[in-house]
Amino acid sequence: MSLDAVKLGKDILAALNGSLAEKWPDVKDYGEAEAKKLAQTLVMIGTLKATGKINKEQAELHLEMQKNATRMVLMTIEGLGILSAEAAINSALIAVKDNVNKEIGFTLL
Amino acid sequence: MMKIDRRIPGFGVFLVSVCLAVTLALSGCTVKLVSGYDETTDRAVTDLQRKTEAHLVALESVEDLPECTYENHKQFYDEAKVDISAITVRAAAIPKNDITTQESQLLASQLDNLEKLHKIACLSKDQITLVRTHFNTSFTAILKLEFAKRRGE
Repeated sequence: MSLDAVKLGKDILAALNGSLAEKWPDVKDYGEAEAKKLAQTLVMIGTLKATGKINKEQAELHLEMQKNATRMVLMTIEGLGILSAEAAINSALIAVKDNVNKEIGFTLL
Repeated sequence: MMKIDRRIPGFGVFLVSVCLAVTLALSGCTVKLVSGYDETTDRAVTDLQRKTEAHLVALESVEDLPECTYENHKQFYDEAKVDISAITVRAAAIPKNDITTQESQLLASQLDNLEKLHKIACLSKDQITLVRTHFNTSFTAILKLEFAKRRGE
């Protein structure tokens, strides 16, 4: 009896892909929606400055807030990615467990 | 004795990874890279969002009026600073919660910048629109990650 590393690797990869693919649409939609909002606010800051409705100091503060908001969106996307990786790892662990037990013929794990 | 297929290049690294995974499975552990959902953080951030929106709506209603000045609205800034401090301290106390902690600190920075803006001059409706977007983006970012930590709970 031998453990088939190739098959085991493919099973783990399938589990990884499954978990990541499931989360990506949600992250993608969020990222796209926030990117659009951030672009709009950037244009608005520029317009308000150009038309003299805000001065340099005010524009810089708005830009700083814009940058912070952008950072937070990116950090959340990073966090969602880490959660996806975690789910993928745990799925892979289940795949390993099932395959090892099946190949060995009794419940080792 | 188990035979293991050694024909795959770079097999050593893969084997170590599989062994690590098996070890973790043996120990009954699931991997947790990020902290769990915290209802208190969720509620506190949501309450602060509501309070911030109430502040912005109030500023819109007093645009160009004497009541628009910073001194008339200082209480909001003082209270919000306390609220954010509590959120940040709690987030930092939870293990594997670095991203939320850092986001809370950025939220504090947002509030500081808003306060600086208001000290310069009363905020116009255009500026309030901008500020509202900045803050809603910030609050949404924190809450979105917090909800995702539920992991199907």
